[in-house]
Amino acid sequence: MAGNARTFMLGALIVAGLLVPFFVEDTYIRHLFIVAFIYGIVAASWDLSLGYAGIFNFGHIAFFGIGVYVTGLAAKLIGIDPWLAMLIGGFAASAAAVLVALPVVRLQGVYVVLVTFAFSQLVLQLVISQSAVTGGTQGMVRVPTIELFGHNFLRDYKFGYYYVAFALLIVSAACLRRLAHSDFGLSIQALRDNEDYGVSRGISVGLQRLKVLVASAFFAGLAGGFYVIYLRVASPEVFDFSVVSLVLSMVLIGGTASIYGPIFAALGLTFVSEGLANVEGLAEGRFILVAVAMVAVLLFLPKGLASLLPVLRRLYGRVASARRQR
Amino acid sequence: MTADTISAILVSGIVLGSIYALMASGLSLVWTTLGIFNFAHGALMTLAAYVAWTVSDGAGLGWGLSAGIAVSIAALIGAGILMERLVVRPFYDHRDILLITVMTTLAATIFLEKGIQLLWGARLKQLAPIWPGKVELFRTAISGQEMLIIIVAPVLLGALAFFLRTTRIGRGIRAVGQNPDAARLIGIDVSRLFIITFAMSAVLAGLTGILLGSVRLVTPEFGAEPLVKALIIVIFGGLGSLTGTILAAYLMGLVEAALTFFIGIYWAPSMIFLLLIIVLLLRPQGLLGKVVR
Repeated sequence: MAGNARTFMLGALIVAGLLVPFFVEDTYIRHLFIVAFIYGIVAASWDLSLGYAGIFNFGHIAFFGIGVYVTGLAAKLIGIDPWLAMLIGGFAASAAAVLVALPVVRLQGVYVVLVTFAFSQLVLQLVISQSAVTGGTQGMVRVPTIELFGHNFLRDYKFGYYYVAFALLIVSAACLRRLAHSDFGLSIQALRDNEDYGVSRGISVGLQRLKVLVASAFFAGLAGGFYVIYLRVASPEVFDFSVVSLVLSMVLIGGTASIYGPIFAALGLTFVSEGLANVEGLAEGRFILVAVAMVAVLLFLPKGLASLLPVLRRLYGRVASARRQR
Repeated sequence: MTADTISAILVSGIVLGSIYALMASGLSLVWTTLGIFNFAHGALMTLAAYVAWTVSDGAGLGWGLSAGIAVSIAALIGAGILMERLVVRPFYDHRDILLITVMTTLAATIFLEKGIQLLWGARLKQLAPIWPGKVELFRTAISGQEMLIIIVAPVLLGALAFFLRTTRIGRGIRAVGQNPDAARLIGIDVSRLFIITFAMSAVLAGLTGILLGSVRLVTPEFGAEPLVKALIIVIFGGLGSLTGTILAAYLMGLVEAALTFFIGIYWAPSMIFLLLIIVLLLRPQGLLGKVVR
């Protein structure tokens, strides 16, 4: 019953998502949806390594950044078809994940944080220092964009981009959800909850961690690829602390180990944070609010807003049964 | 390579090493005692530089440099205590305190960075040097302020080591670092020592900021680069050893100066990170560290 209700809910949401561009004509609002979908993919894929596998991977935004730059460079300098370049961005992020996994599979706790953090700094430094290719701190501009059956994505008020972003989000979420609930997903959760027991049941820590990082990096890189194709510019700001904390807060506020939670949080937070950006004097201040919200959620709702759902359901159940008794 | 180049590399390496040592020792102190990693350490450093600038500079209150330093240190003690209270203390009993405090101190960093940007604006600031003018060291000319950094860092770190080894509070801090439960059993007020440690670490960050604030330009992201370097140093030195951290800091300063000279300022940071990953592949516990935790 619950399963049916959930399928129904998801179906309704997807239909609603498909209908949005017909009712929302404003380009800016469509833009916000697209950005929220991109963040949603990044947050959901981070949830796979952070929430399900419990790897405190601080370099996830670097995977996104790698997707941005590799796709941008492939499309602009080599002239690869932008659709293909997005995929290449995803694979490049996965390749980078292999590199990160080399030390990470051997390390514990805070060392994982430090190495992945150092890795993201390494990527940032590389981007800034190779300014001849990447545009350095100035950023990379005029990245070619996608085309489909002669449709011009630049002149349709973001109608086409919306559907590409939405499709990417749905496919990514479905894949991530499937991964997380497969035997593989169970094995990484087992390692997270009790590593010694998991190992004794024959799960290989190193191999599973490597696979998780490669998989989650792929979706982050893909999102980065679409990001650069959509915005047509890339700047080192994608590696910024405030981006890291924004996406991290999406994962935390949405609730870890749920995939859906971070996506909804991404939608909500993007609109809230962009809405605040237009309020006088809050353009920078909104990040302060995000920071405060993050600490508050960690303090009071360690499982994110998703942990409110069962409470609401119970309340609803009580109200319903009270009504029936009457 | 002439004697002059060698001297230039050595001197700039020692200047860098001194800054890194001051910065990293504060991080290391908090790590050994509380078992958490303070990502807001760099933001504290920035805060100190801004407070000192506001109090001392003519464009601010104009009370002079010594007042600026005094107020800044007092403010940092307050900031350290507040930070421990707000983003660290609530999570002591949590199973994943280490990972949670990484996130909360990161949130604190954003809070401070953006708050500073709102309060002081994005315009660059610079503190007046405590020691103006130029000095010659081993035939290399450096600013008086850099000379001051070279002298002050070892003195401060020596004082810190002395404090930790001989005083009652210092030994208490080390005891808590080794085993908080046992320390509590023999009557040490663990929670008070946590606050003292955090405040001391904040002051170390603040002093770094004040000293560096007249050498480099102060921006809201002033502390970010030193923080990253300090993180790497703490890994290199092996977590949990103050001596290891200090040695690693000077080593790192020298390596960075040499790399900057030989392969240029653009590739040097990447090389350092690459070195870090290689070191961790071969020795996951750090170059000088023992296996802990």
